Amino acid sequence: MDFNGFWLWQFLGRLHPLIVHFPVALLVFAGLMELLSIRKYDSKWRPGIQAMVWAGGLSAVFAAIAGILLAENQGSSGDLLDLHKITGLATAVLSLVVIGTQYRISTHKTARSIITYRISLFVTLLVLTIAGHMGASLTHGEDYLSSTLPWNVRSDDFTGDFDVEIYETGSGTLNAAQELKLLGQVRAILAHNCYKCHSGAKIEGELRLDAKDHIFAGGSSGQIIHPGAPDKSEIIRRITLPKNHKEVMPSKGELLHEKEIAVIRLWIEKGALWPEGAEQHSVYRVAQLEPRRPELPLAKNNISHPIDRLVDDYFQQKNIPWQQLVDDKTYLRRIYLDIIGLMPSPEEMDSFIQDTRPDKKSIWLRALLDRNDDYAMHWLTFWNDALRNDYTGTGYITRGRFNITDWLYQSLKTNKPYETFVKELLNPDNSSKGFIAGIQWRGSVNSSQSTEMQAAQNVGQVLLGLNLKCASCHDSFISDWKLDQAYAFANIFADSVLEIHRCDKPTGVMASTKILWEELGDIDSAANRAEKLRQLADALVQPANGRLSRTLVNRIWKQMMGRGIVEPVDEMDNEPWSQDLLDWLASEFAEKGYDMKELMYWIGTSQIYQSASVTVQNPDELMAEDYIFRGVVRRRLTAEQFSDAVSQLVTPVFETEELKYNPFSHVAESSDHSFARASLVANNGFLTALGRPNREIVSTSRDTQASLLQSLELTNGERLFSVLEKGAEAWQQQYSNGDAIIQEFYRKALFRKPMEKELLIAKQALGESPEAEQIQDFFWAVLLMPEFQLIY
Amino acid sequence: MMNYNIKRRDFIKKTGAAVAATMALGGPTTGLLTSCQRGKTNSSSADTVILLYMAGGMAHTETFDPKKYTPYRKGMESAEVLSTFPSVPTALDGIYFSEGLEAIGQIMDKGTLIRSYVAADLGHILHTRHQYHWHTCYEPPQSVLVPHIGSWIAKELGQLNPAIPAFINIGQRFSVGEGEELKAFHSAGFLGSEYGPFLIPDPTTGLDSVRPPKGMTPQRFEARNKLYEQLISESAMGEFGSDYQKESLKRSMEQAYILLNSPEAKAFDLSLEPEESYNIYNTGKFGLGCLLAKRLTEQGARFITVTTEYEPFMGWDTHENGHTRLVDMKKLIDAPIAQLIKDLDQSGRLDRTMVIVASEFSRDMLTEGRPELKVKDQVEVPDIIDDMKHYGMHRHFTDGCSILMFGGGIKRGYVYGKTADERPCKTIEKPIKIDSIHQTIYHALGIDPETHYDIEKRPFYTTPDGKGVAELELLSHFSS
Repeated sequence: MDFNGFWLWQFLGRLHPLIVHFPVALLVFAGLMELLSIRKYDSKWRPGIQAMVWAGGLSAVFAAIAGILLAENQGSSGDLLDLHKITGLATAVLSLVVIGTQYRISTHKTARSIITYRISLFVTLLVLTIAGHMGASLTHGEDYLSSTLPWNVRSDDFTGDFDVEIYETGSGTLNAAQELKLLGQVRAILAHNCYKCHSGAKIEGELRLDAKDHIFAGGSSGQIIHPGAPDKSEIIRRITLPKNHKEVMPSKGELLHEKEIAVIRLWIEKGALWPEGAEQHSVYRVAQLEPRRPELPLAKNNISHPIDRLVDDYFQQKNIPWQQLVDDKTYLRRIYLDIIGLMPSPEEMDSFIQDTRPDKKSIWLRALLDRNDDYAMHWLTFWNDALRNDYTGTGYITRGRFNITDWLYQSLKTNKPYETFVKELLNPDNSSKGFIAGIQWRGSVNSSQSTEMQAAQNVGQVLLGLNLKCASCHDSFISDWKLDQAYAFANIFADSVLEIHRCDKPTGVMASTKILWEELGDIDSAANRAEKLRQLADALVQPANGRLSRTLVNRIWKQMMGRGIVEPVDEMDNEPWSQDLLDWLASEFAEKGYDMKELMYWIGTSQIYQSASVTVQNPDELMAEDYIFRGVVRRRLTAEQFSDAVSQLVTPVFETEELKYNPFSHVAESSDHSFARASLVANNGFLTALGRPNREIVSTSRDTQASLLQSLELTNGERLFSVLEKGAEAWQQQYSNGDAIIQEFYRKALFRKPMEKELLIAKQALGESPEAEQIQDFFWAVLLMPEFQLIY
Repeated sequence: MMNYNIKRRDFIKKTGAAVAATMALGGPTTGLLTSCQRGKTNSSSADTVILLYMAGGMAHTETFDPKKYTPYRKGMESAEVLSTFPSVPTALDGIYFSEGLEAIGQIMDKGTLIRSYVAADLGHILHTRHQYHWHTCYEPPQSVLVPHIGSWIAKELGQLNPAIPAFINIGQRFSVGEGEELKAFHSAGFLGSEYGPFLIPDPTTGLDSVRPPKGMTPQRFEARNKLYEQLISESAMGEFGSDYQKESLKRSMEQAYILLNSPEAKAFDLSLEPEESYNIYNTGKFGLGCLLAKRLTEQGARFITVTTEYEPFMGWDTHENGHTRLVDMKKLIDAPIAQLIKDLDQSGRLDRTMVIVASEFSRDMLTEGRPELKVKDQVEVPDIIDDMKHYGMHRHFTDGCSILMFGGGIKRGYVYGKTADERPCKTIEKPIKIDSIHQTIYHALGIDPETHYDIEKRPFYTTPDGKGVAELELLSHFSS
């Protein structure tokens, strides 16, 4: 008899969970009553017990029948289910026995018949208890009772975008493209949810889900997929179990979303098709490697700058209005902070505002870019973070790490073409070897942290915007990169051939020598290290490698605009909010000589850069996958920008003795550099609190939010306190009255006059002839205002 | 590319009161963090953790697991020395400590003695790497910055009292040797600086960290804050509307003000402690650190660590004169640790406060590393001892270390594990590793063992891969 499919059987089957409660309640209660009347069979309870035995026993039979229907219709299987089935059937049979023996008492009432009845009743109850417990475990999970709270729910987020309904309502067959798309979705779901434990990296339950053969081979519990029969497929059973169930998959983390389950179910229903060559279609988004030069939209309505034409095109598509252009004051402050990391002086501000030349913005921007030392001192911070170059830190104590500051500073100062910059990092001389040399730790380190692997990871992350960290230990489950590819890349940095280690265990396989992309050419595996590095440097900077310039332009864009075109900036395979803009900037950058200052000039002269900044209520919005670009994002001053601004305004935050690198040691110190720039001193408690990272690992974005520890440092930290104290004394000497101090400090710090109310408040605090302490506290209050702290 | 972040954040918000509290108090949250497995409201047996850290490698045979005593004599063989102190009885039958730890011995009925901690094999022995491992549970180096255990706790549970930082680190200066290496793990790592350690290098000046700057009267501090608030409310930035940057700055400034102005800040003032009590604790910086920890606990601290301070070749880092140095070290720790436990017990706080005494590894006279996996010797140990300075445990031993645990659900009067009585005096029963220790602490605090965040799309758990199982045998009332 075919139970499958027919609605009535399905309906009756689903009554099983309801019906089972009757025999449980009735027979257990009958048993209890039986115990109460154990001394006297003919107690007043007897008729009730008899009725309960009848009803309980018959309902047990119904429950068993419904249970079998349910199991057949759901195509479930498993050890626990088998045991439940056996004990359930046994309960039904035993219930009939109890009814029989009870009936016999009414005809042959002897001590023996009573005992027989009672024994059969209690045996039935025992078996019933076992069956019931197993049933509950199947439904609710085996730790249902022990875990009092259901602590996880199915997540609401669907990780794919496949519309199952389209195919369900369609003709029932898929065309080739649909097949491929469906399979791609299935593989993506498996990759994101299952590879962690079921791929080359880690194979639990002898099951691998990362290739066709493995998926159809199944695992330790046999076949997981029955093409055409999702309900018979173990994979469907496992991913649809409740959260706390022992056999549920994924066993760690969140369950699959209903739509994801529906996608897998649909794929199996359609025959689990796996067309030839499907693997070539990555389940991860992979960005195009070669450069691409999009056609620029036509210029119109005063929108002529190439960047603006592309942005305008985007705005039109998204129906987003342009922001107002900012005033001169805001623009000048912005380019000063972005290009040289300093505040303009009030005199510079005035002369900019009074400048009447129509192209004054580009003239001033160019002039800032030409302040080579100031530019280098500012951008040194960004590159120190990215290249994990620091003056002190782990590794230096044992000469296991090399500082590249002088090379870096000079490269920035001379605006070395990025192409050359990269080549010198990859194929270094003594002055720039620190980046690929990495940090040599004493003692044994995990093989995924060998210096060669560090080089592979860091070159990948910083220069190419890709994450090789997973693949340096095992085949990645967040990308298509494989362990052997990571090793082949790391091998380029090695003196002798590396042996591939999987999860820190040697595999006996020696690594080959290859660049991550075949398109970029070969590396001679027999060559020595110097030659391999030379070949690598040439290969990565060739024009065909669009990824190098895309990664760089995206970083600079983020520094100036507050948010990358692609985020996170180290994951360039992610989707940009405008592919055209990214591609145009990258190809323009490469074609015009990899000139970083020129790139900043393009961005700085665009209208979009000159537009009012936009606000964000929640920082997560910035990282969201569906981020919509609306304009420059407001940022907080970095630790270095804030320190330098205080040094400019009040008194130097750092003594010249604190300089760890002095670019002017060869020449007489010029008056322009009257204080030690924060980028040139070692990390300390003050800078750490304000966000300078530990440069033991690469860091390409700073935490931009304020924190309590930061505020404590600013509120009662010794460094800022003593700097302001010293500065206040000088101001007290210099200015005759409170009003002058207020006016002058507002002019210097905020480039404006205090408003009437502000003046009133400040005057109240300072009085006619303020004490140094009062001046100090006034400085403090102004410096911590958002108006000073933010780049807007 | 798939991005789970946003929706998962919503998900966290829906869960766990603890998380809600963290958000309310901590205010800014770190972008890019996606919590999973949060919100399982485990029952907990502890609210507060005090970690008393014996930095530099404390020899088990000279402290909490003494072996046969061989007094010093000129010409003795180094191989015959297992302990350089006689043993003294403790409150527990048949359990002896090394001479000089009598006070701690007398409170062992209040806690558990673990004699079988096995430190990791990291090749060449380095204190800072093993300390990194002890405090983060991850072996250095890592390709991301991993958080200190205190930061995990701060992140998951938040402040107990909004006026007391969630993670307080007492006694370590970073200006000493290998200070840079120490900084690497005194960090909230990828959890974000909000959860980093509040550093009090010197407990006697701890108050300075939480009160208005030196020389600033409360009136002046008050006036300054008022000025700031008034100027902000009038500032032109108002016209830009609300923004998370602005809001997070304002909020954190307010928090700092609350903290610096709170009556609880008095907890940092050791001079308010009764003289008698102060004198018991005052064995030095470490002892006063214990006192500060006690006072902070009274006000509702979440995680405090007090260290004997790591400085190469100082403190427990005995490369010579091990015996004589340990006489001093025991004087430093014995009375304050015992008094801390007694005080917490008396006030009833020990029930919900877990105190841990631990070190990165142990020491031995002969074995460097562990017997099966010896590593390069770093200390010259002569076969025949002719000079008192060679009398002591000078090599680094990883295969048997002692940990004391008290309170917060830890069993009273219990001994866990065992080391051999003969050299190499290694663990022979119930070896326990750092991931189990961490998971036991998290378990007591009610932090789910699978708590993790996706960092660069990879899951990072409180312990590597979420491994390590809480050792329930250490806890008196197991409840799930």
